[in-house]
Amino acid sequence: MPDMPDLLDSADSSRRDHTLDLPDGRSSMSFVEENKTRIAAPYARPAEDAPLLLFERVSKWYGPVIGLNQVTLELRSGITGLVGANGAGKSTLLRLATGQLRPDLGSVHVRGQDAWTVAAKRLVGYCPEVDSFYEEMSGRSFVECMARLCGYAKQEARRRTEAALELVQMEDRADRRLRGYSKGMRQRIKIAQALIHDPELLVLDEPLSGIDPVGRAELVGLFLRLAEQGKCLLASSHELDELEKLTDHVAIMAHGRIAAVGTLTQIRDLLDDHPLSIRIDADRPRDLGGALLAMPDVVGIELTDGGPIIVRAKNPRRFFKEFNGLVLDEGYDVRCLETLDDSAHAILGYLLGGNREA
Amino acid sequence: MTVHLLRYRPWRGTLRGPSAGIWPIGRVALQMMFRRKLFWATYALGLMIFLLFFFGQYTLSWASSQAGDQEVRIVGGMKENPRVLVKQLGENLKLNGKDVTYANFFWYQGYTVMMVLALAGSLLIGNDIQHGSLPFYLAKPISRWHYLLGKGLAIGIFINLMTTLPALILFVEYGMLEEDYFWNSGYLVLGILGYGLILTFSLSVIIIAAATWLRRTVPLIMGWATLFVFCRFLASVLVDRLHYHPRWRLIDLWNSTYLLGASCLRIPRWRLSTGAQPRWYEAAIFLGAVCLICLIYLIRRIRAVEIIR
Repeated sequence: MPDMPDLLDSADSSRRDHTLDLPDGRSSMSFVEENKTRIAAPYARPAEDAPLLLFERVSKWYGPVIGLNQVTLELRSGITGLVGANGAGKSTLLRLATGQLRPDLGSVHVRGQDAWTVAAKRLVGYCPEVDSFYEEMSGRSFVECMARLCGYAKQEARRRTEAALELVQMEDRADRRLRGYSKGMRQRIKIAQALIHDPELLVLDEPLSGIDPVGRAELVGLFLRLAEQGKCLLASSHELDELEKLTDHVAIMAHGRIAAVGTLTQIRDLLDDHPLSIRIDADRPRDLGGALLAMPDVVGIELTDGGPIIVRAKNPRRFFKEFNGLVLDEGYDVRCLETLDDSAHAILGYLLGGNREA
Repeated sequence: MTVHLLRYRPWRGTLRGPSAGIWPIGRVALQMMFRRKLFWATYALGLMIFLLFFFGQYTLSWASSQAGDQEVRIVGGMKENPRVLVKQLGENLKLNGKDVTYANFFWYQGYTVMMVLALAGSLLIGNDIQHGSLPFYLAKPISRWHYLLGKGLAIGIFINLMTTLPALILFVEYGMLEEDYFWNSGYLVLGILGYGLILTFSLSVIIIAAATWLRRTVPLIMGWATLFVFCRFLASVLVDRLHYHPRWRLIDLWNSTYLLGASCLRIPRWRLSTGAQPRWYEAAIFLGAVCLICLIYLIRRIRAVEIIR
């Protein structure tokens, strides 16, 4: 195992967990709360005693390369998106969560049990990104085989297979060989096998990849309903637009660390170096522009002839509060008000590269 | 948008332990092997060898029962009892239900087994690692050992279907043709089972280790051929032509399994018709060492991340 003193000897190493040193040396952000981040995702149920998924200062090396660096993370319920550039450590985190890998340092627990154990694996369903099956098998046989691996007797395995296939709307096509399946059908089969044992934690690696828009909408609906039921979903995806439909809670990974965790709004608010851009379409734009410039949080405005005003503001919450007061006091007719760079794309771009290119 | 939710009723039964996952893995692996048309040619070859032994024994036994006591004239004006002739033929062809019959049967079936294993190694294990199917298994409540045991079970079943089971059928056949055969030669059943067990364990461990290492079909076939064809040729050259010590024949792994199997069937070394041979315990030590190395490799490998890709 490689030497790692620089990771451990820091007195405040825990604060590194969710802190990203931006590439150009600008200020970093942190969501650290007492050494761990607790995610209260949408549809969260009252917290149970043991967190569903708990990473405690987990590090994982691949030879000399560090895949995960002192990650601390706690999930209890709801949907959490996992985003980051390629090589950021997302897949490593998912594999550790599903017990496929053991951490070199730290621990990963599922409901208090080591993620590596059989008891923990019974609580986790995993839908991997790869769809490399045994092509000669039918979808039904494959899912049933996975059910048998979960420990169900033959009859129960069959019953669960049918339920899972119905859930992903593959029951009428499940007897065909996997070789003839489209990408979307293969994705559905993967989700079916992940749901076969009714897991509490569903880990999804690129779950919407290759699925047509209608199918995506159906699966997004399915995931939302599962979350409403109290299940915890951890979904890694590059499809940020789709991910935003699923949840606004994200964990952003970079360089093997969790750079930020929370809602997109929370994360955006903390990006002090990147004032929020807001487009305002109102009457009397010059007057409004002058008034906006007087606000302490506004760092700049952009005026076009008769067109909308682009405002860049720090501390968006305070800005919007003051803006409301301004509009009401001065009687401006605001026709359009929209934020331009608070999407997951933009936030990820700012965090990872200092621009909007995620 | 139509979205249904799972309609699982609460599970009231007891979930089976991870060991129960071994059989489904093995069954799927066997299905894969029996669905490949290419493999059926080798199965046909194996069946042909079996039928040769089966009907060979039957024909000789039938011929012996049909022969009268009257002597018949043979080459050179000599006279001989036909029963003696048939018996002599059976012994020469080794189709007389004796220990060497089964040892020979295992030896010849080995060609088929080796061919199928060379092809099936990447199909059963290499592809899982190469193409990333392994996470499907490893994310389920089983350990890596259960996965490997499942694959080993499939290989073991295949080997026994090709060797041990047909050998037992040959034993039963001859027992039905000859009086007191079951009583006098009952120990051969244990020998057959022992030989089958040796083949099952050693070949399973070696093919799993080789497939985990080489993964792809062509390198695996080349590696397998090196291990079982080139090493055999080399051993033959060293011992038979260059007159090195017979221990050099140990590098022929198939021969080593043959020596162990022959010892299970209680065949003395001098009766083996394959040239100078090492002792059976030397073969046991060598084969055991090879299997141990393979197991150590597997232990190290399945702890490494590469198996996950």
